[in-house]
Amino acid sequence: MTTYTICVFTENTIGILNKITILFTRRRINIESLTVSETERKGVSRFTIVIHHDSREAVEKLVRQIRKVVEVLAVFGYLCDEIVYNEIALFKIATPLGSKALDIEIINKVHKAWVVYWHLDYVAIQKTGTEEEIFQFFDYIKPHGILEFVRSGRVAVSKSPHSLVDYLPEAEWEYYL
Amino acid sequence: MELKEKQLVTRQAEPLADLSHQPEILNGSHALIRSLIAEGVETIFGYPGGAIMPVYDAIYDYQDQINHILVRHEQGAGHAAEGYARLSGKVGVCLVTSGPGATNLVTAVADAIIDSTPLVCVIGQVAKHLLGTDAFQETDVIGVTMPITKWNYQITSADEVPEIMAKAFYIAKSGRPGPVLIDITKNAQQELMSRPFSYTYCEKLVSYHPRLSPKADQVEKAAKLINEAKRPFLMFGHGVQLAGAEKELLELVEKTGIPCASTLLGLSSVPVDHPLYAGWLGMHGNYGTNILTNQCDVLIGVGLRFDDRVTGDASRYAKQAKIIHIEIDPAEIDKVVKAEAPVVGDAKQALQMLLPLVKPNDHSVWRNEFRKYDAMEDEQITQPELAPTTEKIKMAEVVRMLSDKTKGEAVIVADVGQHQMVAARYYQFKRSNSFITSGGLGTMGYALPAAFGAKVGDPSREVVAIIGDGCFQMTIQELGTIAQSGLPVKAIILNNNYLGMVRQWQQLFFEKRYSFVELQNPDFITIAKGFGIAGHTCSQRESLSESLDQLLQSDKPYLLEVLVEKEENVFPMVPSGACVSDIRLC
Ligand SMILES: Cc1ncc(C[n+]2csc(CCOP(=O)(O)OP(=O)(O)O)c2C)c(N)n1
Ligand SMILES: [Mg+2]
Repeated sequence: MTTYTICVFTENTIGILNKITILFTRRRINIESLTVSETERKGVSRFTIVIHHDSREAVEKLVRQIRKVVEVLAVFGYLCDEIVYNEIALFKIATPLGSKALDIEIINKVHKAWVVYWHLDYVAIQKTGTEEEIFQFFDYIKPHGILEFVRSGRVAVSKSPHSLVDYLPEAEWEYYL
Repeated sequence: MELKEKQLVTRQAEPLADLSHQPEILNGSHALIRSLIAEGVETIFGYPGGAIMPVYDAIYDYQDQINHILVRHEQGAGHAAEGYARLSGKVGVCLVTSGPGATNLVTAVADAIIDSTPLVCVIGQVAKHLLGTDAFQETDVIGVTMPITKWNYQITSADEVPEIMAKAFYIAKSGRPGPVLIDITKNAQQELMSRPFSYTYCEKLVSYHPRLSPKADQVEKAAKLINEAKRPFLMFGHGVQLAGAEKELLELVEKTGIPCASTLLGLSSVPVDHPLYAGWLGMHGNYGTNILTNQCDVLIGVGLRFDDRVTGDASRYAKQAKIIHIEIDPAEIDKVVKAEAPVVGDAKQALQMLLPLVKPNDHSVWRNEFRKYDAMEDEQITQPELAPTTEKIKMAEVVRMLSDKTKGEAVIVADVGQHQMVAARYYQFKRSNSFITSGGLGTMGYALPAAFGAKVGDPSREVVAIIGDGCFQMTIQELGTIAQSGLPVKAIILNNNYLGMVRQWQQLFFEKRYSFVELQNPDFITIAKGFGIAGHTCSQRESLSESLDQLLQSDKPYLLEVLVEKEENVFPMVPSGACVSDIRLC
């Protein structure tokens, strides 16, 4: 199985998420993670979809099918070495009285993670990094007692020197400043 | 009035303010009908109901400008619109209500997407404030039809109507055509627009750019392969008729001497008696075309998608050949067969660009190889089918006699099953755009409403539906639509008292275990008479000719039932999953 990251630029309209994901469903391709948000251009959404697949050909066919959706502006498929990518994770760690103290120095310096919220009974720690880095930190912090753990989908930018938005169709886009 | 209304059809967006007799501000329903008129829509196939009533109320005022045809079931509306679109080349329009009206239409929408047929389906929906509340006749039609529409959209305010309708028509007919579905909430039909109605045609969109003109280097590469080929073979599909590329196709094969063959939906693009026409492809196609597919050195596919009924086992399909794939939809390239030379673009433009680059050739030795197989097929199948010794009439005789009597110039609308394959095999098409059938979806019940729609689309042509006894009972109620219209649609039931195609498979591949394929049929002629349609049954070979004459000479709708051999099989046949060169003659 190879991991592919598919970036889709679409018009930001109701139902577009469905229109994209049903293409995966029909081909029985599981979505490992999915992130959608508006880009710097008004009305343009960017999807980052991570899948595992053993056939590059099947992924290429999928990409061409996504391109057919009327609201889709552009689609790119990447292998992991073609992109810079990260996820963000939040850990809610129990800190009851008398528990083992958190080693903030290791958390900060070794794991590049930050405490972002303090409560009497727990702290919330934010860790950004690749999936592996997040799970390394998960293993490290686990003995403290994880009350909650959540990971975002992947976000990724291509390593190519070009701007992906250069590939978008010409139009009078409005920009967020 | 006449003149002023016509102004709407001009390209400038004109405010209706000049039309003093009309209210300046339209409601959504009037805006919808005005939009249809502006798009040049002449006919709507529809069926009313609660959630679409405001639009029906608006149609009442426009009956002098737009023709609404009341079908008997929404599936019939869909297939009629498909038949209309296929024959007229225009977008077919349907109008139905929410919930069951919409779900009844779904089969036709699925049929239209797989056969690239342009439709705009307008569907009523509950009011915006009721969406998601399980209101009466609320179905999530957008959700249901997402995978089977080229585009769908829910209009929830009257102001959206003109712009969305313009977009709908543009998307339905441009690039690879397909069905567009517009779900319009009741409040949007009723409320007034906040500005005067004006209509601007949609000519491009920010997203969605169908490529019509292929890249020059792709065409050059294709030309090079064609010029170097020793045994080239050209296949064409529906894309040729959709692009109106019949003339260019003939020019190309005539210049290069390349034999050509047709898919089911490509039939009639090239006249069957053309010396370079090698026949029909696929599961029940001709012997030589299938076998030689696996012997050609360059295979040129024009406007087709290498459907599995054409390729059989794709892993053993034309592996020896370099493949040129001329196709408007980039997602079809490399989908089923890998193309050495893909050419993405409209078939007409691609062929026009290709023509000056190909060298004149003859390929007569290679072409003669087809004749060798033709002779075998003719002797073993075609001749016995056409001159049978059986007591009962055979389907092939009926179709061939019809072909002779109509000089190969009728529009044949075939339903789905053995009779469909026989119609495709034995009708000798002389004129393009003459075969209408449900190819990709294989929708039983397609033919009667589609034949009706086709006749509406071009009343100048003779339209004859060829229908199985099973299929006929799936949309039999559309006899009522035909009777009410009075249009001389002709239908032939080839009655074998079986779901024949399924029975054939059970005989060949399931040890003759006939599981639920025998039909107890009604008296079709009495039923037709009940609808006010004349007809008769023919059971004797001697009276077949006279029966067909009676059918063809009627200036009203007519139904001819022909009692045919019960257990005949359609051959040649590439068994499901076999490779094309394993085609069987018996
Ligand atoms: C809606 C639908 N249901 C089932 C089928 C499967 N099917 C394909 S052909 C066929 C038999 C058609 O029978 P008939 O109309 O009598 O035609 P014949 O094959 O006998 O000529 C069936 C059931 C289908 N294609 N469409
Ligand atoms: Mg039958």
